[in-house]
Amino acid sequence: MKKILNFFTALLVCLAFNQTTLFASSHREAPLISNDPLADNTDVYAFRSACDSNNIVLVANYIPFEHPAGGPNYYTFGSNIRYEIHVDNNIATTGADIIYRFTFQQVNEDSTTFFNIRLGKQNLKTTYTLEKSTNGGTSFVTIVANGIVPPPNIGPRSIEDATVGLGAASYDALMTAAIATASTGEKVFAGPIDDPFFVDLGGAFDVGGFRTTGRDGLAKFNCHSLVIEVPISTLQYQGKTTAQATSILDPEFVIGVYATASRPSITTLDANGGKPVASGNWIQVSRLGMPLTNEAVIPIGSKDKWNAAITNDERPFDKFYKNPELALYMDDSQFGTAVPGLGALRIQSNSLGAYDFRNGKRGLFDLKGNPALNGTALAQAAFGDLLLPDSASPRAVDLLPIFLTGVPNLPPYQLATGKAAGSPLAAGKPFINNFLPTLGDMLRLNMAVPVTSRTSPDFSSLGLVSAAVLGLTDERFNANASLQFIPNMDGFPNGRRLEDDVTTIELQAVSGVVLAAIGLWYDDYIPGTTPSPVTPNLLSVLTFNAGVTKNDTTFKPCFPYVQTPWRGFTGAGYVGPLSFDPLPVTFLDFTAEKKNNQVELTWKVANEISNDHYDIEQNAGGGIFTKIGTVKATNANNVHSYSFLHAGPVLNKANYYRIKQVDIGGKSSYSPIRVIRFSLNNVFSISPNPVKNVININTSQPDLRVNLFNAEGKMLESKLLTTGNGQFNISKYASGMYIIVAEKDGIKIQTTKVIKQ
Amino acid sequence: MIKQFTQLKNWKSCLLLTFTTAVFLFQANASSHREAPLISQDPLADNTDVYAFRSPDDSSTITLIANYIPLELPEGGPNYYTFGSGIRYEIHVKNQAATGANIDDITYRFTFTQVNEDTTTFFNIRLGKQNIKTVYLLEKSFDGGAFTTIVAAGIVPPPNIGPRSIETGVGLNSNYTTIMQAAIATATTGEKVFAGPVDDPFFVDLAGAFDVGNFRPEGNTVNPPKDGLNRFNVHSIAIKVPISMLQKDGKTTAQATSILDADFVIGVWASASRQQIKTISADGSAGYSGNWIQVSRLGMPLTNEAVVPVGGKDKWNAVASNTAGESQFDKYFKNPELGLYMDNSQFGKAVPSMNGLRIQSRSLGSFDFRNGKKGLFGLKGSPALNGTALAQAAFGDYLLPDSLSPRAVDLLPIFQTGVPNLRPYQLATGKGGDPLAAGKPFINNFLPTFGDMLRLNMAVPVTSRTSTDFSSLGLVGAAVLGLTDDRFNSTGTLQFIPNMDGFPNGRRLEDDVTTIELQAVSGVVLAAIGLWYDDYTPGTSPSPVTQNLLNVLSFNAGPTKNDTTFKVAFPYVQTPWRGYDHTIKARF
Repeated sequence: MKKILNFFTALLVCLAFNQTTLFASSHREAPLISNDPLADNTDVYAFRSACDSNNIVLVANYIPFEHPAGGPNYYTFGSNIRYEIHVDNNIATTGADIIYRFTFQQVNEDSTTFFNIRLGKQNLKTTYTLEKSTNGGTSFVTIVANGIVPPPNIGPRSIEDATVGLGAASYDALMTAAIATASTGEKVFAGPIDDPFFVDLGGAFDVGGFRTTGRDGLAKFNCHSLVIEVPISTLQYQGKTTAQATSILDPEFVIGVYATASRPSITTLDANGGKPVASGNWIQVSRLGMPLTNEAVIPIGSKDKWNAAITNDERPFDKFYKNPELALYMDDSQFGTAVPGLGALRIQSNSLGAYDFRNGKRGLFDLKGNPALNGTALAQAAFGDLLLPDSASPRAVDLLPIFLTGVPNLPPYQLATGKAAGSPLAAGKPFINNFLPTLGDMLRLNMAVPVTSRTSPDFSSLGLVSAAVLGLTDERFNANASLQFIPNMDGFPNGRRLEDDVTTIELQAVSGVVLAAIGLWYDDYIPGTTPSPVTPNLLSVLTFNAGVTKNDTTFKPCFPYVQTPWRGFTGAGYVGPLSFDPLPVTFLDFTAEKKNNQVELTWKVANEISNDHYDIEQNAGGGIFTKIGTVKATNANNVHSYSFLHAGPVLNKANYYRIKQVDIGGKSSYSPIRVIRFSLNNVFSISPNPVKNVININTSQPDLRVNLFNAEGKMLESKLLTTGNGQFNISKYASGMYIIVAEKDGIKIQTTKVIKQ
Repeated sequence: MIKQFTQLKNWKSCLLLTFTTAVFLFQANASSHREAPLISQDPLADNTDVYAFRSPDDSSTITLIANYIPLELPEGGPNYYTFGSGIRYEIHVKNQAATGANIDDITYRFTFTQVNEDTTTFFNIRLGKQNIKTVYLLEKSFDGGAFTTIVAAGIVPPPNIGPRSIETGVGLNSNYTTIMQAAIATATTGEKVFAGPVDDPFFVDLAGAFDVGNFRPEGNTVNPPKDGLNRFNVHSIAIKVPISMLQKDGKTTAQATSILDADFVIGVWASASRQQIKTISADGSAGYSGNWIQVSRLGMPLTNEAVVPVGGKDKWNAVASNTAGESQFDKYFKNPELGLYMDNSQFGKAVPSMNGLRIQSRSLGSFDFRNGKKGLFGLKGSPALNGTALAQAAFGDYLLPDSLSPRAVDLLPIFQTGVPNLRPYQLATGKGGDPLAAGKPFINNFLPTFGDMLRLNMAVPVTSRTSTDFSSLGLVGAAVLGLTDDRFNSTGTLQFIPNMDGFPNGRRLEDDVTTIELQAVSGVVLAAIGLWYDDYTPGTSPSPVTQNLLNVLSFNAGPTKNDTTFKVAFPYVQTPWRGYDHTIKARF
């Protein structure tokens, strides 16, 4: 045992630093729904709140790959779609018991602009109605009447600017103001957010091209989220709080959660571009409970059907869990060798010297009818044929219940801790009970399980896999088989937290990690011979890393938990020259000329009306103009000329001049800018001249731009010399004369002729 | 007149310098990506861009390109983007006004079908088999008549997923370039055809443009512009057609009377249509029935993106080009919303990034082209208009309809009829200060069918893409050369000026249409024909190349070119970005 402990300690260290992931949970996951992004349900989460442990947070996300700058018609929830979150809390009833239904409406506040937001007005401005049913959908009551969907996070001019935009204090202020409290007490948010999911899409779908340095395909994309925070007593079917739970795995506290989107069956387009008319029955077009089911479990031939199928009525899809496609890529007798990205994951083919869980194999079927099963979940008396249906459905014993019924706290579904070596059917240490045998794809959460603090060193994005590892290997938890709270027992697949790396967890599960955790070890463990069940194969699975292990930003510590949507426009706004307002006077001409070491400025104006004076301003670099003199205005009706002599220009740098015209009321405007340079005569030299191929240019000036012109004055090449020298290769040009012009700060300062031989 | 030329010449180097800089700088809006509320919810049918240009490597042909499906993430699996079934994707060509405005002279119609070769996998490509594998039928119709099949089972290349899917034995065991080349079909009528995913050739600072005009100039070190479409793919339909097949009388350019021969003008637009009724079933299937309804269209870039306001966008998409319904949108060209942001008496001061663009309010001391002003209407009926396009005898009230439609004289014809080679639509070169006088010809893409189309005079020669004169500013580039370059500004006679084959005379893939259109809204075409900016005072200002004109010509709104190159031969558009490994670049 001591030896095992040492192994596990090493493993834990390893795991802590190698948290992991993969796939888009359900983004564009089926052919039809990929054509209907507004109704495309991408992810569902259900977790006990880390901010208020009396509450459960339900999150359903829609609309994949929202480009934050996707204007002018930024993404929003669709009208004519029912977005629903379903909660099943009672095995005695068929289907969901509580249903939250969101519907959305849009208005244009200013239909004369193509901008989404302008001058305080917003187009496609969206509000929602939230209805709730507590009788399985028989009747609904409105619990939020005019919920606000925050606008798209377009940018600083649209959101914060009080003149051209909405004048909000910040986007977060809009987001906070949009949080509603339902008449039944729930906190509610509906709006755009950072997509919390993370996955190496590019690798995963290139025939499983997983890589250790994966790229989060959803990074910097937004999605639309529905978030509801509900007291546990509202969800528990008898109204109980967790204080009334019999244990932290009390089976009465299990809920099943899934989300859907439905549209009316008939949509009729308007020939004149008017709103399409929707009619007919509501048809479910998208659904999601467990992540990745329709993405990577259901094959393409059945994906559209799966989306339309009613949860709890999905027997046609059982076969995909009993023999999952992904397992083919973790099995060297199938396509395993062709998918190196999953090479770390090999399913047990000879667990405990006897059991083969590869697709089409017998799994535990040979135990069927054996008295050893008595008292376990596998006994015929327990769940009939469900878990051991036939000799060719090896994963009916683990993947099927994880996805479709939840896992009961019964042998063999207890950790190997406390089980004698080679006896997976014995009683072990409890670690899960989210059993709600309604035979439907749902996220099943036992609400009685305490919350793991997000700041705890034990917190792990590997969820229940991590809890299993702790329960098997950590001295705090593996000393005996009694029920204890093990950190991350509140993680996927016991519900799903925003942080949970469900891709890795599911790939590990397909490769048999749950079987291993309950004592059906990997092939390289030989009972009585191998010193520890923590074999290289198991370590390989537990340290598997498919690329991206966490979201590309943080989460909020409290409601709505999901993060502010990425802003379309980031950084400083327009930075550039500001040209002029039309002047009360018209600057007809403005020239600056050298007079020895002084500069004479002359300007000609027309239309002087209520003009007071002119300020002459100079800028000797550094960008700041300072006043160097004043000339009183004459207010002549016709064209009038003024002049000013600047006695002290700087001689070693550029002098920029402009005239500020100030009218009697104090309003002012500016002339164009003129530049004068002294003493920059020999800023660069060239060699050789005449030249055959390459002209070398040397200068002491930093950031000098040199332009090569032909004799006709056409510019051929241009270079910025940052280091003091550079070259033009003119071998490709015809013989003749060429001209090199040097510019500094956009001003032409020296010209030299070159002869090409 | 001599004096005028001299003045222009003196300013030439200054302008050229500015202009050259401008070529390196520039740009801004997505042509028509997610541009109207309804179509933004139907990406498969969303027509994003249309191009029509004389092929740079084969000048006896014209290339027509229509793009669909905006913002395709290259790694957007497992169901990668493809053309929709149940959609008619069409490219429409008008080559004469006489056949009736509402009838296409030539229509190309693509329809697509998909098959799954292996329904047991969730991968798109596996072991040589491809799911959602797409083929197309291409049909052609003349004069609105029956359609004839010209490509029966065209191949759409698969998505460029990654090396395992495309190149290795677990995938297709090929390479993407070979696959793309092999997908080029030759129609029974002789056209070369390609339909498939490509790099989106459009470029724009989406984030800046739509944050109430928060453009970021190229070269701005504080916050560089971002091409919002960089590293995204789109689905493209490309057709290369001999000019003689598009010209109404079957002529080649050798038979053209001049490089601006009026008989060589075509108008091009594209559309997507769906059947009116969609029925979804409880078993997860969908069916379509009823009449075909146009749900998206595009001719001139940015029309529905930045000219038509949100209240009219869905309607605009539903109207067929050149039909009576078009006239309801005329008002948006006569007084464009963008004009408000280039006018300090309106919202001009509130949009600092466009402050280089100020519309003439007092051109030649008298003409005001700001929204709601008179423009040239004060000249109506004047004998000075005789012999010009503005005369009542020429086009009636169209160009000078009333005293409140200043841009009916420039933006309206650019978008709706094309511009004739008639006074005053000739360069100021040779005009001697009178904008109504005869000047140097530079455009003739007049096809007065009153519809939003890309109008191309096919007789105009091609500017080589490697020429030092090549400019992504298209016809604005040609106008600048015609006004200021010694090679072109010494006489008022017709000459080929480089970039006369660029937007808005057709549209090349390289053309920076966002900048050109913003310049056009700010009155640059008016300036080019001699209606100079406010700071030019005839008889007083030394040159019409004033600060205001320089500001417009050097205006810069963001990215000035695509994020990758173009192919030198058909289909010209570039290989799509590969999902597995394209490099990441900031998009906002």
